[in-house]
Formats: sequence, C-alpha cells, structure tokens
Amino acid sequence: MRDAHSEASSHDWRAQIAERLTSLRLAPAEEADLADELSQHLEDRFRELRIRGMSDQDARRVVLEELDGDGSLASTLRDVVRRGSVPATLETPARGSALGQLRQDARYAVRTMQRSLGFTAVVVLTLALGIGAATTIFSVVNGVLLTPLPYRDPQQLVVFYGTSPEKQLAEVSFPSGLFVAVREKSRAFASMAAFDQPGYTLTGRGDPVRIDAATVSEDFFRIFGTAPIMGRTFVATEYRPDNITVSVISYGLWQRMFGGDPKILGRVIKLNGSPSTIVGVMPREFAMPERTDVWLPLALDPAAFGCWCLDMVGRMKPGITADQAKRDLIATVDAFTLSRHDIFPGAKPEDHAKIIVMPLVKRIAGDIRTPLLVLIAAVGVVLLIACANIANLLLARATARNREMAVRCCLGASPGRIATQLLTESAMLAGTGAALGLVFAAVALKLLRQLPEGQIPRIDHVKLDPIVVLFAVGVTVACALLFGLAPAVRAARVDLQTSLKDGSRGSSSGGARRVSNAFVVVQFALSLVLLAGSGLLLKSFHRLLSVDPGFRAENVLMARLQTPYPRYDNPQMVRSFYDRVLERVAALPGVRSVGLTQMAPFTRGNRQENVIAEGQEPKPGEQVVVSNNRTITPGFFDAMGTPILKGRSFRASDGPGAPRVAIVDERFARHHWPNGEALGKRISPQGDTSAGHWRTIIGIVPNMRHSSLGEDPSLQVYESFAQQTAWATYMIVRSTREPRSLVSAIRAQVAAVDPEIPLYGVRTMEEAVSQSLLTRRLTNGLLAAFATAAFLLAAIGIYGVISIGVAGRMREFGVRIALGAKPGNVLQLVLKEGVWLAGAGIALGLLGAVWVVRFLRSLLFGVSAFDVPTFVAATIVLAFVALVACLIPARRATRVAPAVVLRE
Amino acid sequence: MLDRELKKGSAELLILSLVEHEPRHGYELSKLIDSRSNGAIRFHVASLYPLLYRLEKRGWIEGRWVEKAGQRRRRYYRLTAEGRRVLAAQRRNWRQFVEAIARITGVQHA
Repeated sequence: MRDAHSEASSHDWRAQIAERLTSLRLAPAEEADLADELSQHLEDRFRELRIRGMSDQDARRVVLEELDGDGSLASTLRDVVRRGSVPATLETPARGSALGQLRQDARYAVRTMQRSLGFTAVVVLTLALGIGAATTIFSVVNGVLLTPLPYRDPQQLVVFYGTSPEKQLAEVSFPSGLFVAVREKSRAFASMAAFDQPGYTLTGRGDPVRIDAATVSEDFFRIFGTAPIMGRTFVATEYRPDNITVSVISYGLWQRMFGGDPKILGRVIKLNGSPSTIVGVMPREFAMPERTDVWLPLALDPAAFGCWCLDMVGRMKPGITADQAKRDLIATVDAFTLSRHDIFPGAKPEDHAKIIVMPLVKRIAGDIRTPLLVLIAAVGVVLLIACANIANLLLARATARNREMAVRCCLGASPGRIATQLLTESAMLAGTGAALGLVFAAVALKLLRQLPEGQIPRIDHVKLDPIVVLFAVGVTVACALLFGLAPAVRAARVDLQTSLKDGSRGSSSGGARRVSNAFVVVQFALSLVLLAGSGLLLKSFHRLLSVDPGFRAENVLMARLQTPYPRYDNPQMVRSFYDRVLERVAALPGVRSVGLTQMAPFTRGNRQENVIAEGQEPKPGEQVVVSNNRTITPGFFDAMGTPILKGRSFRASDGPGAPRVAIVDERFARHHWPNGEALGKRISPQGDTSAGHWRTIIGIVPNMRHSSLGEDPSLQVYESFAQQTAWATYMIVRSTREPRSLVSAIRAQVAAVDPEIPLYGVRTMEEAVSQSLLTRRLTNGLLAAFATAAFLLAAIGIYGVISIGVAGRMREFGVRIALGAKPGNVLQLVLKEGVWLAGAGIALGLLGAVWVVRFLRSLLFGVSAFDVPTFVAATIVLAFVALVACLIPARRATRVAPAVVLRE
Repeated sequence: MLDRELKKGSAELLILSLVEHEPRHGYELSKLIDSRSNGAIRFHVASLYPLLYRLEKRGWIEGRWVEKAGQRRRRYYRLTAEGRRVLAAQRRNWRQFVEAIARITGVQHA
C-alpha cells in the first residue's frame, strides 16, 4: 500500500520538478538526471515527514514549499546548470579560467551597479560627458593635425614665405624672378613650385559661377606625388604666360558640374569668357591649395620682380629638416639680393632675409592649431578632476563596503581577487560611460559639420575613425585605472581586525583619508589653472567685442563681382558696367546706399602697397611704409556706416580727368603727420614718386578693422574707383530692412546689365564679423564649460571629503561639545581642514597657472597673460566654492547632540 | 535560524566538511546539517542542490550515480583533491574570522 502510494507520488514529484525546469530548456538527459536526483530527495523528505506523523496532505504541501524555497527553482539553478556559466560569488577556485572569472566579476559588477543606481548614474554620466568631450576634440585634433596629408612622404612637404614684422607684414610672397633664382640655387629642396590663386568666372554650363582657380608652375603636381585619376597634368610647352587654354579640374567640380561624366577629357569650359580644354581630373583627396576647382599652368619669368604675389611649396630632400631648409633659403635669398643691386639697391651684407618654413600640415591647420591643443589639454584636466572625484566616491564606498570585503576575505577570497573584482567594477563604470560618451561624440561631430565651410580645415578627415575610437578606449582604460586603482589597492590590503572594528563606525582609515585629501588638493590646483585660463580668454573676448571696427555692420550686405578680362579690356568699359549696376541697385526699394570696394573688411586676403608721403620719401635702404590700399566709389563709406572725420568723401566729380585724390585713415595721418594736418598733403599710394602719381588727401576716416577685430590696426589709404579702376570688386549695400531679402533683386539688376557676370560670395557684414569670431567663440564656450565643470567637480570633491571626515569624527565633536566647546569652535575646526586643503590646492594652482598661461598668449587680446585681476577672481571664486562646500558638513558637526553620539 | 548571508557564506564550508571523509547523497547532507546544528541550519532542495552543482562545477566535489540492489539510484558526492585544498583554506579563514569576531564581541566558545 505504502509502496503503491510512494510510486504514485514519486511520479508526481518528477512532474512537479519538470514543470519548474521548463524555462531552463535543458537537454533531455540532463533534465532527467536532475529530476531523478531531486525527486529522490523530495520522496525521502516526504517519507520523513510522514513518519513524523504529518498528514499526507500536509507533508506534500511542506515538501513543495521547500522545493520552491525563496524564489523559483529555475532561477536558482540557472547559474549552475547552464553550460559554461560559472556561479556568481567571489569565492572562486584558485584555478578558475581567466575568462570565466572575468565574466563572474562582470556579472557581480552589474549587480553592484544596479544596487546603487544613483551613484552609478552620476559616475557614468560624468564619464560620458568627459570622455565624449575628449573624444570629440581629439577627433578634430586627429583629423586636422595628426592624419597625414594624402600625399607621398607628406612630412617632407613645406610651404615657405618671407616675413616682415617691421612692416607689419606677417607673410610676404615672392616675385617670379626671386623664386626662379631660389629654385636654381637652393640645395635643401628636391623640388619646389610656385602658385597663385586667381578667381575665374566659369560660363557655358548654366548660370555663370565663380570658381577658385590656382595657376601652378612646373613640378607642382610632381611635388605631391599625386597623379590625375583621368588624363594628364600640364606638359612643358603649356607653361606659357597667361595660357588658360588647358585646365585640370578637381574631382569636386567634375562631380558637381559634369555629373562625373566619363568623357570629360577634351571638353571645353569658358574661363572669364576664354575657352579652356579640360585635360585632366585630379583625385578627390588632392586639395592643394584648398578648395581649388581648376588648375592652370603658370609661366615663371626670371626677370619679373613687380608682383610679389607667388605662394611657394617645396619638397625637402630626404633627411633635411625644416630648420636646415630655412637656413638654406636665407643664404640663397641673401646671396641673390646682394648680387642684384639693380633690384635690391638697399641690400647690405649684414642684413638677412626673414623667411619662414612651415610644414604643410601645420600650414593647413592654420589658426585652429593652438585652440585645439588648449582645448584637448583642458578636457584632459577636467577628466582628471572627474576621475579624482569618482576615486573619492569609490573610496568612500569601499569604506562602507569594508565589512563585505572582510567577510569575503574570511570566506577564502584572496586580496588579488578582491582587487580584481573592484577594478572590474571600475572598468564597467568607465566602459558604460565611454559607450555613452561615443554617442555624445558622434552627435557633437554632426554639429561640428554644420559650421560654415572653412572654419575647420580638413573637416572631411574629422570622424570617429579607428584611431579616434582607440583613443577613446585608451582614455577609458586610463580613467578606470585612475579612479579604480586607489580603492582596489586599499580594499586588497583590507585588514580583518580593523575592518571589522572600523567598519562598524563607517569612518575611513588614515591612508584613505590621505589619498582623498591629495585628490582634493590636485583638483583645486587644476581647477584654478582652468578657471584662470578661461577667465583670460573670456576677458579677451569681451575686449574684442568692445573694439570699434570702424563701421556699423548691421543691415549691410556684401557681394562680389568681377568683370571678366579680356571681354572687359579697358577701364572705361569696367566703370561703365559698375556705374550702371550701382545706379540700378541704388534705385531698388530697401536700399539706403551702395558702394564698391576692391577689398571688403572681414574677407580673405588683403591688398597692400608701399605708400610714400611727400616730403617723407625714404632714403636708400630705408623701409617704405606699407599701407592697406583699396579703391572705392563715393557711396562706400555711407554704405559701411563709416563717418568722415575730416574733409570730405569722394564725389562723382573725382573722375579720371580730375585732380588725383585720396582718403586716409586716422592712423595713417597720425603716423606721417603726428602734429600736423594731413588734409591737403600729397601721397603716392603705389610707391612711385614720379610726377603724376601724387594724390592729394581730401578726407580722413576712422581706422577700419580689416580681417579681425583683434588684429593690429594697419595704416589705410583709399583711392577713387573712377581714378584707379579695379576689375574685381565687393559691392557693399546698406539696406533699410533685412539685407538678405535684397539678394535676388540685386542679382537681377546685375544680370540685366551683363547676364554673364555672376554675383557671388554673398554675405551680410554681421555674418562676416561673427564668423571671424567663431573659432574664438567656440574655444571660449568650450573652455568656460570645462572650467565650470572643473570647479563644480572640485566643489563636490571637497564637500565629499569633508563630509566623510565629519561623519567619522562625530564622537570627537560630541566629546568636545560635552566638554564645553562652542559650536563656533567646532565649525572652525572643520573649516580649518577645508581651508587647508583648498588653500594648498589654490596655491599649487596659481604656480601651475603662471606656468601654463604662456601657451595661451597667442589667443589673448588686450589682456596680459599674467592679468592679476583674473587670477584674483579665479582664486576668490574657488575659495568661495570651497567655503560653501565645507560649510554644509561643518554645520552638521556643530549640531551634534553629545548624548546621542556618545551612547551610539 | 542563522542569518541568511552568514549561512550563504558558510554553506560551502559545511558541505565540503561533510563529504571530506565519505561520499554522501543530497538528502543525507541536508539531514546531517539539520541534525548536527540542532536545527539551526537547514538546507532544503531549493538551496542545497544549486550549491552542490556549483561546487561540482568548480571541481571541488564530484557526484556519481550509485545503484544499490532494490533501491533507486542515488547520486553520491565526494571531495576532490582540489576541494581538499579549498577546504583547508576555508577552515583557516573561518577560524580567523571567528576569532576576530570573538575578540571584538567578547563571545567565547563554551
């Protein structure tokens, strides 16, 4: 009877078990074994309970309850019966596989992270922002500065140019004759080439368009080692003066204008109205000079010294450094100038040419190089501060987890295992942060691409490529080690006795305190450096914005026009075109005034001339004063909103036949006639003192900033457009309404006069000015954000450390208060510690800042690198932040009730 | 009943000790723990078998089906060489732990 019963129930047990195991999806054999073993156990237990006198029904209920335990049977078994999985506790075998161990640690880490979601969120988010920012900036650094140029042996490629600080000319191009001489005599270069960058109007394919062209001398393409993807470059016989009958086009133009037509070779385009046959297409990555769409041959004339307008690029011989190349060039130029007294009458043996040789990659990076390096350093500092904070948080948590660690130790976990476990936790935090950070970086890069063209050179190379990702991984590992190592080492050194004693009190040991304190000092030091640096830049920016540019930018539109030569082959034709255009545009509703200038402010390039004032002619060998030189129409100053300070503006009557006149700016007037009157004096704007070149000064205007608000203002001379006609101009329109709304109307008026002349380069003056500030604005914004993040993190850091200190000393404070200490005394005691930490950090930071700001010097404007108010302000901000952060825990200390803490 | 955490931490040590000298099956182990602890520690199916499988997986114990005449087959667990080393280490640690607790709390062995 009993056997029958047990047989029946035994089957029942198996069913009960099988039902509970279905979710595990075990192999049939494995499930059968498991069911065998467990049902045997249940049966034994059932019998035992029955023998003890329990009813059949009760025994059955108890057995099933025991089978279910606290949770589902499947979930408790899942970890152990699944193949390859390893149980999730710390006490693993000494010889567990490394991978299994890692997986176990990882799983444990996930559980720990889930247990303290708030903490995890704070850490992960901090890291995500930090790593995201670092990755974004590094991807720009990588794309702009580190990615090799797509040319053969790019490290041998340099550009070189003269420089003339005494004439305020940062860069001086070479005339054809000088370049030819240098190319012949120089020993440091394998080859060199010259190029110029004229603009052309391309017609014959829809609307006329302006294109960036480059005329290039022989060897130009060979220097870069780049072959055309189709056709050829130029042959020797094609390098004739003004030969535009053959052209090589860019990949971009080929795609854009010809839809990648495979039969492009031999097609004829019209450049300024003259036919030119396409003989080659350059590959996509060939961008020398940047944004060039058409290359044309450039003939060099060894006897030409008139136009100092050639840019130069060279390939140094293998093994030659830029410095050696520079010395070689200087010697070559010196020898030439001394040998040619006919051209360089003032040349003396003791004078040396001033030449700059710059690696091509650095040249292309341009002005953005320093800001980038500053930003990547700043973001590194912020990450460092963040890591110190996280380390402190983990240290504090490690203290709270002392007991857990002690118990694990007792149960056989080796110190190494515990350290590994904690490091895994750190790595998981950092890894999660990094994953999120990469998403941030991807978004940030997308935003960067929306910047106006030309703000970031080589933007195509700025992307999350393997090197950038590798960088992000490296940063992540570094972070994990930085903030994970201290807590891990400490936990591994856990001492059972102290842990169990100490742990009960929740304070941290001396060693941990010292480490935390050191972190806080370093955080404050780094924060001060960032705050001071950011303060200097912000102050510079403020100074820049308050600079008077010499014109009013609001409601001003500028657009470029060019009358194509040779279709317009004389000044009368050109003037007549522009006169008609100006007349029509001035009549448009919404136009207040309109004028032309050869060179508008805040555009690329400049025009400078040697300008001689009558009676101040330079003696032989003396430097001639160089001034910005533009020819303008009478409406120009009106359109720009520039007042005439003295005298008058040009009039229609200042025509070709009238007496020659000029307008100069205040600086020019003051430079030449510091105490006298400039009006009525005569100058020669082309440096030619022969009769007929003198112009009488009829007006004085304020200085106009030409290329940036922060530039050293140059001397400026204006000539009458009617007396000195220019083929290419900028039209400046001041409107009574939103200037962009006039563009199509203006375009229609130009087309009505000559449909083959395009209006291009349309911008509002406000856009031009604000674009000139964009890099600064970005740099400042980012740096200010980093500095803010830095001192907030430092505040949190010191708050945490003081709080933990206070928590650990509650008994002490209790005793002190019991013995008669006033709350003020306790407050002082706590604050003293905070003041000491912050003070040490700030002092260290001031030293650091003094050393660091030198790197910022080139970014400053109107502020000394050692601007005392900025340093004082940074110190005050940090000290205040530290005080507030310490005051909160300090007040807690004063409110200790002695009776309570002493009893605890 | 003992505190859950403590029981979890010490469970491995208990099992390893009980199979140190002779192989035992699961039900026998649960009975022995119950009786030797005077009912202070109890392991039921849901907690015992996952633990056994875990120890087996780590190679500290080894289970083997044994069939005896007239009985259903049972799985007996015995200590492996690796398990013996672990047991020694855990015993040492446990002693330290208990002594530490004793020194702090003043609880002494009877």
